[in-house]
Amino acid sequence: MGSYRALCGSYRALWGSVCLYGPLWVSIGFYTSLWGLCGFLWVSMDSMGFYGPLLLSEDEEDTKRVVRSAKDKRSEELCSIIRALRNAMKIKDVSRCLEDFELLSRAFNKAKGVLEREGPPRFYIRILADLEDYLAELWEDKEGKRRMNKNNARALSSLRQKLRKHNREYEAQIAAYRQVRMWGLWGNLWGRAMGLGCRAELCGWAERRGGAERRRAERRRKRAPRSRREEEEDENEGGEWEKVKGGAPLVKEKPKMFAKGTEITPAVVLKKLNEILQARGKKGTDRAAQIELLQLLVAVANENGLGAALEIKIKFSIIASLYDYNPNLATYMKPELWQRCLSCIEELLDELFQHPEIFIGENILEESENLSNPDQPYRVRGCILTLVERMDEEFTKIMQNTDPHSQEYVEQLKDEARVCSIISRLQQYLQEQGSPEELCRVYLRRILHTYYKFDYGMAADGSEDSASLMDRLCKFIYAKDRTDRIRTCSILCHIYHHALHSRWYPARDLMLMSHLQDNIQHADPPVQILYNRTMVQLGICAFRQGLIKDAHNALLDIQSSGRAKELLGQGLLLRSLQERNPEQEKVEKRRQVPFHMHVNLELLECVYLVAAMLLEIPYMAAHEFDARRRMISKQFHHQLRVGERQPLLGPPESMREHVVAASKAMKMGDWRSCHRYVVNEKMNGKVWDLFPEADKVRAMLVRSIQEESLRTYLFTYSSVYDSISMEILSAMFELDLPTVHSIISKMIINEELMASLDQPTQTVQMHRTEPSAQQNLALQLAEKLGTLMENNERVLDHKQGSYGGYFRDQKDGYRKGDGGYLRRGGYRQQERGSNY
Amino acid sequence: MASRKESSGAAGSGFGSSKGKGKAAATGDSAVKQVQIDGLVVLKIIKHYQEEGQGNEVVQGVLLGLVVDDRLEITNCFPFPQHTEDDADFDEVQYQMEMMRSLRHVNIDHLHVGWYQSTYYGSFVTRALLDSQFSYQHAIEESVVLIYDPIKTAQGSLSLKAYRLTPKLMEVCKEKDFSPEALKKANIAYENMFEEVPIVIKNSYLINVMLWELEKKSGVADRHELLSLASSNHLGKSLQLLMDRVDEMSQDIVKYNTYLRNVSKQQQQKHQYQQRRQQENMQRQSRGEAPLPEEDINKLFKPPQPPPRMESLLIAGQINTYCQNIKEFNAQNLGKLFMAQALQDYNN
Repeated sequence: MGSYRALCGSYRALWGSVCLYGPLWVSIGFYTSLWGLCGFLWVSMDSMGFYGPLLLSEDEEDTKRVVRSAKDKRSEELCSIIRALRNAMKIKDVSRCLEDFELLSRAFNKAKGVLEREGPPRFYIRILADLEDYLAELWEDKEGKRRMNKNNARALSSLRQKLRKHNREYEAQIAAYRQVRMWGLWGNLWGRAMGLGCRAELCGWAERRGGAERRRAERRRKRAPRSRREEEEDENEGGEWEKVKGGAPLVKEKPKMFAKGTEITPAVVLKKLNEILQARGKKGTDRAAQIELLQLLVAVANENGLGAALEIKIKFSIIASLYDYNPNLATYMKPELWQRCLSCIEELLDELFQHPEIFIGENILEESENLSNPDQPYRVRGCILTLVERMDEEFTKIMQNTDPHSQEYVEQLKDEARVCSIISRLQQYLQEQGSPEELCRVYLRRILHTYYKFDYGMAADGSEDSASLMDRLCKFIYAKDRTDRIRTCSILCHIYHHALHSRWYPARDLMLMSHLQDNIQHADPPVQILYNRTMVQLGICAFRQGLIKDAHNALLDIQSSGRAKELLGQGLLLRSLQERNPEQEKVEKRRQVPFHMHVNLELLECVYLVAAMLLEIPYMAAHEFDARRRMISKQFHHQLRVGERQPLLGPPESMREHVVAASKAMKMGDWRSCHRYVVNEKMNGKVWDLFPEADKVRAMLVRSIQEESLRTYLFTYSSVYDSISMEILSAMFELDLPTVHSIISKMIINEELMASLDQPTQTVQMHRTEPSAQQNLALQLAEKLGTLMENNERVLDHKQGSYGGYFRDQKDGYRKGDGGYLRRGGYRQQERGSNY
Repeated sequence: MASRKESSGAAGSGFGSSKGKGKAAATGDSAVKQVQIDGLVVLKIIKHYQEEGQGNEVVQGVLLGLVVDDRLEITNCFPFPQHTEDDADFDEVQYQMEMMRSLRHVNIDHLHVGWYQSTYYGSFVTRALLDSQFSYQHAIEESVVLIYDPIKTAQGSLSLKAYRLTPKLMEVCKEKDFSPEALKKANIAYENMFEEVPIVIKNSYLINVMLWELEKKSGVADRHELLSLASSNHLGKSLQLLMDRVDEMSQDIVKYNTYLRNVSKQQQQKHQYQQRRQQENMQRQSRGEAPLPEEDINKLFKPPQPPPRMESLLIAGQINTYCQNIKEFNAQNLGKLFMAQALQDYNN
C-alpha cells in the first residue's frame, strides 16, 4: 500500500523527465509503469536501478531473493562497492577511490550480462556522474592538489583518465541523469513525505525496512542540496571538514566586532586592534580572517570618523598581515592577495598625501604615539618605506615564480607599472618628509626599476628621460649614501643604463673610477650578479660601438666559465645539482633575476664569439708556425674544434655553427662568405635584430669583417706575393684606398707584416723574411733537440751522483735553457740575413 | 727505371755496397757477407708495393733462396696477402707453407731465407721489425730483411737494403732483458744493433743481352726524376718524422731520469736507515743488550722497476736513419741546385 503510493511519487518524477527529456526515458518509464502495475515494485525498481524515493534496501529483498538471486546479488555487490566508494570520496582518499572504482567497474562488467537487458542501472550511472563531478572539483582545486600527498595526486590523475574513458560509454545516460536529478528531487521529497506519513500503517516488512529507510532518508537529505547547487554544497562540506581542525576563536567572533551599543571611541578601536594583532603569528590563527577583521575595523573607524591617524595605523597592520599571510619566505603571494596589497598601499599613500601633518616613523615608541588627540601633532609608528620595499620584493618573488612564457606572466608584469608608480609616489612623499638615508633607499628602488629598461624616447609628456633621471638619482646616492651597498648597486645600475643606451665612454669611465672590479668578490651574491649583468651589458655596448677588443675583454670572464646562465642569475645549471643541497638551491632560486630583466644569452654568446673571431682569426694567421702561440679565446677554439669534429658538414643551423662557418671563410680571407654567414636572415632573427640600432651594428660588423679579413689575407698569403697592388686589395675587400693604406701601414709598424709601401705605384712590396715551412720545422726541431739535450745532461748529472744536488742542477738546467733560446734567436737572425 | 738499375746491377756495381761496406767489415763473424738478389725479386717487390701499398701502409713478403758459402742468393719471393677485416681467421703460416710447397712442385727455390718490407720515409727501425727479424734469425740463421724504400725509388734511385741483427743483439733478445744494466753489459748501442749486408743484383746473361737490345730500341729514356729540384715536401715530411722521434726520445729520457731520481732517493733512505740501525745497535751494545736482528734491507726498500731501454735504442737507431736519409737527400739536392745555378748563369 505504502509502497504503491511511494511509487506514485517516483512516477511523477519519472513523467517529468519523460515529458522533458526524450524517448529513452519514455520507454523506461513505460516499462516501469507496467511493472509497477503488476505489483513487482521493488524488483522492477531495483533491476532497473531506478533511483527513486523508494530504492529498496537489501534486507527487504531477502524475502523474495530466491526467485531472482543472480540479478539481486549483483546489484547488492555493486551497491556495497558504491557505498565504500562514497566513503572514500568523503574523506578525500583518492587512492581508495581509485581502488574502489576499479572494483566497481569490474563488478559491473561481471554483472553486465544480467543487467544488460535494462541498460546500466541508474545507481551506477549516478555514482559515475557524482564521481566525475567530484574529480572535476578536486582537479580544479589547485591549492588542495598541491597539498595532496604523492599517492593521492597520482591516483587522482589516473582515476580521472580512467573515469573519462569509462564514462564515454554512458555519456547519454549521464547527461540525462544530470537533468533528471533536478526532477528527481521533487519526487524525492514528495515520496519521502508519503513514506513517512504512512509509516504507522506499515506492517511487518515495512518495519524491518524502517532502519534502512531512515538511513536512506538521511543520506538523501545530505544529497538533496548537492543536487540543487552542487558547488556550494561541496564547499560547505569542505568547510565542515576543515572546521574540525581549524577554528580559531576569532572566526566565531567575526560577526560581532563590537558588542551592540558600545560607544566606539579611538581607545576601544585601538584595544580591539591590539587584541587582533596579539593573535598574529600564533598557531591556529586564521590569517585570512585576521585580514578581514582588520578591514572591518578600518571600515568601523572610518564610519565613526575616528581620524586619519588611526586609520593609517590600522592600514599599516593590514599590509603587514597581508605580508604575513604566507608563513614561508619562499612562497609567493597569491594574485588576489597581491592585488589587495597593492591597492592597500595605494590607499595608504593617498591618506598620507592627504594628511601631510601626520608624522610617521619607525622609531616612534608605542607609548608616544598620538592617534586621537587633535591638539597635538599626530604621530604614528610605522615605516611606509619598509612596506614598499617588501612589496617590491614580493613582486620580484611573484615574477620569479611565474612561468615566463605564459599569459599569466604578462598579466603580472602589467602590475610593474603600478609598483613603479607606488615607488615614485613614495619618493615624492619622502622627498618632503624623509631623511637622506630613506631617500637613498627609495631612490635605489626607483633605480632598480629603471636601469634595465631601454628608453625609446617615447616619454613625450614632459617627464624627464630615464638618462637624466638615473643621473639625478645616482648622483644623490653617491653624495648622500652611508651604506656601501646602495652606492655599489646604484653605480652598477648607472653603468648598466649607460651601456644599454650605447654611452660607452661614460659607462667605462664610471666602471674604472669605481674600482669595483678589484673588490667585487667581497660583495654579496645579488650584487655580484648585478655586477656580472653590468659587465655583460658593457661588453655588448662596446661591441655595438665596434670596440671589439673591449667587448671581448668584458665578456671573457663571464663566457669562459661556461656558466653564464648561472652567473647572470638567469637559471640554475643542471650540472651542479650534485654540488649543492636543496637548501642552497632554494637560496639560489631566490636570487634569480625575473625573466623580463634577462640578458639574452644567445645574443651574449654570439657577440662574444663574433668578437673572438674578429680577434682570433687574424692572430692565428699571423702566428701560424709559432710553437708558443697562445689562444685568445679558449671558448672560440672549443667551438672551432667542435665544428671540425663534425663528420658531415651541412649548412650552418645554429648561431654557433654560423660563427664557425664564418671563421672558416675568414681564414681564407673570403670576407663575402664570412659576412654572409654572420649577417643573414637566421642570424638577424636570432641575434642582430635584438639590438636597438640593428642596422648600425650590422654596418659596423661588415666593416670589421672586411678589415680583419684583409689582415688575415695578408698574413696568410703574403708569402706567395712579391708585391700586391693596394688598389686590387681595396677592390677585393671593398674598402677604400686610404683605409687599406692605413691598415697595411699599421701592420708594418707593428712588425706584423714584413713589407714596405711603394708610394708611386701604390703597391706593397713584401720582404720575404718569414721563415719558410722547412725553416720553421728546422727551428722547431732545434728547439726540441735543445730540450732533449737538456734532459740528457741531467742523466749525466745523475751518473756523477751528487745527492741533494738535484735542485741546483735543475736550476742550472733552466738557465741553460734560457741560453738555448737566445742561441736560437741567433739562428733566426742568421737565417734572415742569409735570405736577404 | 728498373731496367736501368738492373743493367747497373749486371755491370756488377751493387749500389748499396758502398754504404754497407764499413759495417759489413765490422761484423766479420756473420754467417752472410753478401746478398745477391735476382732481378726478378726486385721487380716483384716493386710491383707488390705498386699494387698494394699506399701512403704509409707497409707491404711485406717472404724471400726464398739459398746460401752459397758466405753469399745469400735470393732467387724468388712472394708477398704476404693483405689483411682485411673479413678474414680474421686467415692462417698466415699455413699460407706460407702452401706457397712453398707449390713452388717446390714446380722446382723453384723454396728455401725460406728472410723477408722483405716496404718503408715510409725510412721509418722502419721499430720494435715490430726487431721482433720478427729476431724470430726469423732465431729459426733460420742466415735470414735477412730487405727494406725497400718506394719514395726514394720514385725519386730516381732504387733503394733496397738488406739488414741483419748483430750477434750481440741476438744474445740480448734471447735473454729478453732490456734493463739498462743488461744493455750496458752487452755493450749495445744504436750503431751496432743492425748490420747492413751489401747487395748485388744479378741477372742471367740472356736477360742482360735482351736489356741491351731493348735499350737500343726504346731510344732515350725519360729520366727527369733524377733532376727534380723540388725538395721541400720530402724534406718537410722527413723533418716532421724526425721531430716526432725526438719528442719520443725526450719523453723516454725523462722517464729514465725519474727512475734515476727514484733510485738515488731510495739509496739515500737506505743509507739513513742503516745508519740509524747502527747507532741503535751501538747504544744497545753499550747497555749490554743483544743487537737487533739483521733484516733484509732489500725487502724494506723495493728497488723501483727500471724502464726498459730497448725502445730508446730503437728510437735512436731510427733517428740515425732519418739523419742519414736527410743528409743524403740534401747532399744530392745541393748538387742539383748548384748545377741548376750554373745552367742559369750559362744561359744568361
